[in-house]
Amino acid sequence: MAEWEEIRRLAADFQRAQFADSAQLINVDLVHVESRAIEVSKQDRGTHLILGQLIDKYLDQLAEEVNDKLQEVGQVNTAELCKTYDLPGDFLTQELCGRVGRIIDGQVDEFNRGVIFTQAFICRQTARIRGVFSALTPTPVSALISVFGFHENLLYVLEELVNSGRLKGTVVGGRQDKAVYIPEIYSRTQNAWVDSFLKQNGYLFEALTRLGIPDPVSYIKKRLKSSKLLFLRSACVGPEIIAQLEASVEEAISSQTWVDLQVVSEKFISSCMTLFDDMMQQKAQKQEVKNNPVFLVTEEDLKVSAMLESSSSSKKDKREDRRKKASGSGSLRSGGGGNAREIRIRKTKKKNRRDGDSDDEPDTTQRSKQSEVPFLPVEKILEVLEVKVTDCPEETLEQLAEQLLPLTLKYQEVIHTAFLSSSSSGSSGTRKQNVKDVQEEINNLYNNIRLFEKGTKLFSDTQQLMMKHILRTVCTDLTNILLNFMAADLMMATENPSSITAEVRMKILGKLSDETKAPLMKLHNSLNGKTVEDFLSSLEAAAEDCGLMLKKTDKKKEQALLLHKQALLEQLNVAEDPALILHLTSVLLFQNLMHCMLHAPGRCVPNIIGTLQPKLSEDQYKLLVQYQGLVVKRLVQSHSQEKKADGAEQGGEDSSAELESVLKELNSLSGTIKELVLNPRKPSTTE
Amino acid sequence: MADEATRKTVSEIPLLKTNSGPRDKELWVQRLREEYLALIKYVENNKAADNDWFRLESNKEGTRWFGKCWYIHELLKYEFDMEFDIPVTYPATAPEVAIPELDGKTAKMYRGGKICLTDHFKPLWARNVPKFGLAHLMALGLGPWLAVEIPDLISKGIIQHKEQQSS
Repeated sequence: MAEWEEIRRLAADFQRAQFADSAQLINVDLVHVESRAIEVSKQDRGTHLILGQLIDKYLDQLAEEVNDKLQEVGQVNTAELCKTYDLPGDFLTQELCGRVGRIIDGQVDEFNRGVIFTQAFICRQTARIRGVFSALTPTPVSALISVFGFHENLLYVLEELVNSGRLKGTVVGGRQDKAVYIPEIYSRTQNAWVDSFLKQNGYLFEALTRLGIPDPVSYIKKRLKSSKLLFLRSACVGPEIIAQLEASVEEAISSQTWVDLQVVSEKFISSCMTLFDDMMQQKAQKQEVKNNPVFLVTEEDLKVSAMLESSSSSKKDKREDRRKKASGSGSLRSGGGGNAREIRIRKTKKKNRRDGDSDDEPDTTQRSKQSEVPFLPVEKILEVLEVKVTDCPEETLEQLAEQLLPLTLKYQEVIHTAFLSSSSSGSSGTRKQNVKDVQEEINNLYNNIRLFEKGTKLFSDTQQLMMKHILRTVCTDLTNILLNFMAADLMMATENPSSITAEVRMKILGKLSDETKAPLMKLHNSLNGKTVEDFLSSLEAAAEDCGLMLKKTDKKKEQALLLHKQALLEQLNVAEDPALILHLTSVLLFQNLMHCMLHAPGRCVPNIIGTLQPKLSEDQYKLLVQYQGLVVKRLVQSHSQEKKADGAEQGGEDSSAELESVLKELNSLSGTIKELVLNPRKPSTTE
Repeated sequence: MADEATRKTVSEIPLLKTNSGPRDKELWVQRLREEYLALIKYVENNKAADNDWFRLESNKEGTRWFGKCWYIHELLKYEFDMEFDIPVTYPATAPEVAIPELDGKTAKMYRGGKICLTDHFKPLWARNVPKFGLAHLMALGLGPWLAVEIPDLISKGIIQHKEQQSS
């Protein structure tokens, strides 16, 4: 059937396609065609002009089709029909409703005019609803609608069924989504259970929520209006228990013996637990502070004490806060309730605790010296309890202490969170940021090293020296950054990676996991090697294992060159020491003339100048050599002077005079030397 | 076979896939569906090319087709009714299109007004079973026939323009 319908639709489409744009075909303007069509539709009652389409008998045909579908499915929705027949909803609804009872055998939904259904459909739905709801435990109606595909608007059927008594139960929560159907048998058994529990035990408590009663207090109030019940924070106590309690307390007072509260209140243990909460927090903090130095050896090594100080002070603040909060909530809790005896007893406990708060501190400090993670051994707990819970027989305390052993677990959690909160110094978000930063930094350094390495190749005799220099400086920095990044995972990171020494590196390496350890170890060893190439290759391997990406960007070369030059120029601008001036000048000249970055030790300055000679003008070269001579002279002089100062005084004066003259000359030349690179025009003219 | 223009027109008609005739119940529906899709496409193409030349509709089962076709000669439109049945052996056999009003007026026609298709058409159709459908029949069969016969008939004075006839 359905296929034939599709064929029918296709045939209609075909007709429409054939007769489309007939205006164009007959060479008449659309305006005229439209006006004529409107006339036609007015004259002929059976003809309609819809969406630019002139429709006549088609509608009856369509209604027949709709009827076919309706009989098959049980209900049709005009919204869907609109889509399939490509006609406006209002028009379709109107036309179809007009044909209901004539061509279409069904009825229109009173609440939703867009829906037409058959009587049989309603009967079927009713039967299904009856069946489903007869076999239910309390269930949200909306869930059933989705599971069984009920029509939402047919819910009034459910109400009818409930009202007529065919379904025994109630719909709670109105006709909205929240509506819940509760069968009568269910509420009856529930009530029976509550009644019998109260009768047997004399009290009621959380079990009610477990039974699925959302608001136990109001439920009890409603259900057990007549009985005199005492509402406590987590339970509701009947008169029998109160009487019993009163009697036993009176008896205890009169006989001056101990009342075993445990029997009366199971909550007692948990209140004891809270006794330890504060202490646990403090101890955790202490432990963590104590542990910190162990992990942050490097920090001590490097005397980055400022950072440590600030962090520890903030830690102290935090601790204070936490204590305040804890005691605040404690008092609040004990403030609640009123005439309950149980609570009164607990109140005195709390008071005791607060009295003991002052001597808490030394207590825990002592204890925190034991370094094992378990919280407190039974004896210790016992001790604490003895102080806090006055006049209590020892056996009870022992029992209590054993009951409290699960504290250890809790304690470990507390210690963990305390440790994380302070030492990891940041959430995962900042770590992510860190990864990005580290990656960028490493990449920058990596590219610089490659450029530097290229620079060294221009030298033949001093290449080894320069390589070593690069390894010792930039490469070491890079390794340190990488290691520090890995160490951050182990909470061993230092604030200043550049000050990590070889020993510290070994220490960190020792703690790393095996996968990352090997490549990093290789990297570390390559620092002591001879060539930069070895270092680079082991760095590439190590970075991959550490989850970092190295980018070989030749595009950035120019930029790196520029940046490097800028940095050097800045340094040169503020440089005062002649040796430094000479060093920077020569390196910069090298970069200017050879277009190659250079990273060389001071010792190689003469070599650099020598290499540059063919590219420099004579004046420049002479100037450099002169300056170099003076610098060497000065260094030798100051060196010898020191020696002399140790030995004899003689000759000191004239040498110092000589030194002065050299210094003067140096100072006068410094400006011109700086000019060489600071003023870019000069070298360009000589080129 | 046909000229370049026809070849192009035909290449733009979607090919059919289902090999089934009116005797197959469900498959025929499938075939009919494809026929319609192809026809719609063909008509749209024609309209886009300003070459609309027929109207076609079918009975409910899609076994009998009827409509009009026209030919424009010297700015005059000559329109004819046409009809054809789907043979039971369709699509192996091509339908025989009939233009009853021209019955007896031309030699290229069988009794009952069935047009005599070119020698090329039948082998072409046979080669393309089941890919060719009614749209192809129109494009390769009736279209070329009209293009050849109608001017000839007009020149012989056998058919006249209807308005001129009446006047």
